[in-house]
Amino acid sequence: MSNESPSLMGRLWSSVEFKLILSWLLVVIATMALDTNHTYWYASADSAQLILRQTVLLGFFALGSAIIIISGGIDLSSGSVIAMSATVFGSLMIVLDPEGFKAGHVSTMAVILGIAGTLLVGAMVGTLHAWLITSVGLPPFVATLATLVGLRSFSRGLTPTLTGGKSQIDFPDASLRDALKDVTTITIVFVVFALILWFLMSRTVIGRHLQAMGGNEQAAKLSGIRTDRLKWLAYVLGAVSASIVGIISFADNGSAKPDIMARGYELNAIAASVIGGCSLQGGIGTIPGTILGCLFLRTIIDAVQKIVGAGADVFEGMIVGIVVVVAVTFSQRGGGKLVGKQYFSNEIGWSVIPTLGILSGLSFLLFFGKREWYAPYQAVVFGLLVIGALVVRAVLESRTKASGQS
Amino acid sequence: MTAPIISIQNISKHFGGTRALHEVSFDVMPGELHAICGENGAGKSTLMKILSGVITSYDGELAVDGKTVRFTGTRDAESVGISIIHQELNLVEQLSIAANIFLGREFRSGYLFRNDRAMEDAATELLRSLDCDIPPYKLAGSLRVGDQQLIEIAKALSLNSRILVMDEPTSALTEAEVDRLYRVIAKLRTQGTTILYISHKMDEVFNLSDRITVLRDGQFIGTRNTKETNAAEITKLMVGRDIESLDLGPRNARGQKILEVKNLSLAWPGHARGYRLKDVSLELHRGEVLGIAGLMGAGRTELLECLFGASALAPTGEIILDGQSIAPRHPSEAKKAGLALVTEDRKRLGIFNTMNVGRNITMCSLKDAVRGPMLNQRSERELSESMVSKLRIKTAGLTPPIGSLSGGNQQKCIVGRWLLTHPKVLLLDDPTRGVDVGAKAELYRVIRSLCSEGLGVIVTSSELPELLTLSDRIMVLSEGRKTAEFAIADATQEKIMEAATQSWQSYPSA
Repeated sequence: MSNESPSLMGRLWSSVEFKLILSWLLVVIATMALDTNHTYWYASADSAQLILRQTVLLGFFALGSAIIIISGGIDLSSGSVIAMSATVFGSLMIVLDPEGFKAGHVSTMAVILGIAGTLLVGAMVGTLHAWLITSVGLPPFVATLATLVGLRSFSRGLTPTLTGGKSQIDFPDASLRDALKDVTTITIVFVVFALILWFLMSRTVIGRHLQAMGGNEQAAKLSGIRTDRLKWLAYVLGAVSASIVGIISFADNGSAKPDIMARGYELNAIAASVIGGCSLQGGIGTIPGTILGCLFLRTIIDAVQKIVGAGADVFEGMIVGIVVVVAVTFSQRGGGKLVGKQYFSNEIGWSVIPTLGILSGLSFLLFFGKREWYAPYQAVVFGLLVIGALVVRAVLESRTKASGQS
Repeated sequence: MTAPIISIQNISKHFGGTRALHEVSFDVMPGELHAICGENGAGKSTLMKILSGVITSYDGELAVDGKTVRFTGTRDAESVGISIIHQELNLVEQLSIAANIFLGREFRSGYLFRNDRAMEDAATELLRSLDCDIPPYKLAGSLRVGDQQLIEIAKALSLNSRILVMDEPTSALTEAEVDRLYRVIAKLRTQGTTILYISHKMDEVFNLSDRITVLRDGQFIGTRNTKETNAAEITKLMVGRDIESLDLGPRNARGQKILEVKNLSLAWPGHARGYRLKDVSLELHRGEVLGIAGLMGAGRTELLECLFGASALAPTGEIILDGQSIAPRHPSEAKKAGLALVTEDRKRLGIFNTMNVGRNITMCSLKDAVRGPMLNQRSERELSESMVSKLRIKTAGLTPPIGSLSGGNQQKCIVGRWLLTHPKVLLLDDPTRGVDVGAKAELYRVIRSLCSEGLGVIVTSSELPELLTLSDRIMVLSEGRKTAEFAIADATQEKIMEAATQSWQSYPSA
């Protein structure tokens, strides 16, 4: 049987992974050139470590999220599960070794039991999701939306009862903290975790069945695949991976503040999966792609911070939003063409031009506006330039449309 | 000679690297019923999509009433009077009949307000002209396929269409609905409507058409006057080679009993009848093909689903497979017991569109390709290759996406998927639906040869000739009950139809 698959180079070129590596290199090079402090150049080790830490922390639960997405579901609860797990980890240490907790030296047994207990709680949350989805029959969106709001609230309620009224749990043990947040350790753990999941998804029957279920759940069931059990596995992996992040973040942040901790992270995980090539329709996506999606997302957030010099957390949401739109546009089949596609020539297209212009002007002001008196004028000029360019594009599009009709 | 109403001139269309149409030219005369025949992939549907403005980029020219047109959308095509009834109907199930007919062209009172009353009145009028008295406020999704199709036709009428394109309109209809459709077509023709009629079915093409155009591999092969040709000639043009008459050779010797079903019933809460299946019993022997005939809604699919553990409610009754009583409540249990089900709706319930040919074939037998915890890619490849060669699946290797194969070859992949589980009984639910003539014959041969290996096969079909060709025995379901069973020597289409049209009300309630 002849195997007429495209050449290796062709497959490489068209893969999401390759495009992501290229885009990532571009971002790094651009940051090297544009960053006035040349941080990547002079402090490359520190920069790499920072990005690595953030990528790993995102990577854990993004991989969990990716598996759920590939299997045809969605998990909106990761942020809350992270906050809850940090709280639960802290609470377990308080309960298991109250004296040690106060003295700043938690016993090893309490730490091990605390970590195991937290992961178990993660698995229980995943089981709850799977039950709500398979037995109660809720859509995954609704089931995990409920735990998204519910678990954070639960953690906020739990904290004061164990800390004597405080709204946060401080990390008790300095040496334990150093061990848990050590970038080498967490990277090694992540690599092992990612390898296991990659192996699971690409080399085992379960992985194939997860993909099949995501692609066509009905057909999977009629092929004799136990879809309910697979969903349980996917949601448990998703929640447990978030619990791991909760444990590490507790150490990394030095405290567990359930009200603000990891708020909105679930969307970063979904964004990283989608950037990494997972289809929200299910059935499509890879572990390496998702990891590269995380790396790309964290790098571009870091790059904007370096270039702009402002707090990355402020602009993080904006960057994630833009990157998701661009990445998904360009990975759509037949979509994302710059030439020959009509973006602005109809009513909605014309209507969006002022929005894009104002957004560009404001972003310009926020990112590059040094506190000079003329900065607002610069921003206005920039916004107008964007509007002008888009109007030109819209007119050109209308012309090609008209000539195509005749 | 009058001028053609539609003139197709050198139309070509490529999808990526594949050629769907190549320089097709022919004319359609006003008022005629022009049948378009061809195997799957011949380009019929593509051509009809160009005609009706669904596909807007192509090479060549299209003239309506002698004027060259180039549609930019279905609205354009509708404005010159061309409407299409797609094979897969395009109704919004959550909207009423009237809302569907006037979707996008709603009647208004004033500028802002919708005039539902006027639309319903107009819809009633249209439906009455089609001899159909369904109330227009019913939801489209609550109708049977045949009625839904009438809604589409009513929509076309409301657009004052002079040219109606029908893409395999009878493929999902019961005999009664087919008869009604024929009456509607006759009526439309007396009003002067030109009809382009795509079909696989020779008998209806010869019943209905004035002329027949045959396409093959995207090329125009020929147009014949229906009166001056016969089914054998058209079939020959379609496949481009002589196909043997469907004599599948001697039937297999009947082996020992492999499956017995006793008094299988399946409840139907909330329905007037109360049951989907009632006291259905059957026997199947090794090497035998049992055909199940029945109109739509007779319970054919439900029966197979019960046997396969795929029904939503648990059936009552007894299923004995190879001497063992089984009661599967999940397809995995049925699979383990030695049953295999090839589902009716291939796209929705069969194929995994995101996966390639090889992975679609091995989906049910991956455990045979496992070494330790890992899937062994070589053993997996060997499994799928064995089926590609055994079933003669036409594919460029195992890596192309399953969607790139023709319907018949996709179906063979799914049959192969189940053969790899070494089943004792193979359940085939309307396996040749949407499969072209050549591939049908291939599938028949495959089924027959599987029987000779000792498999028992149960097959359902909407086409009686198919059941008569394929089966050793035929049982008939009507409204959830078994109404007859024939040895193949005694079975005729008339007898089967008679048994299939008995209504459940004629039975005493049990």
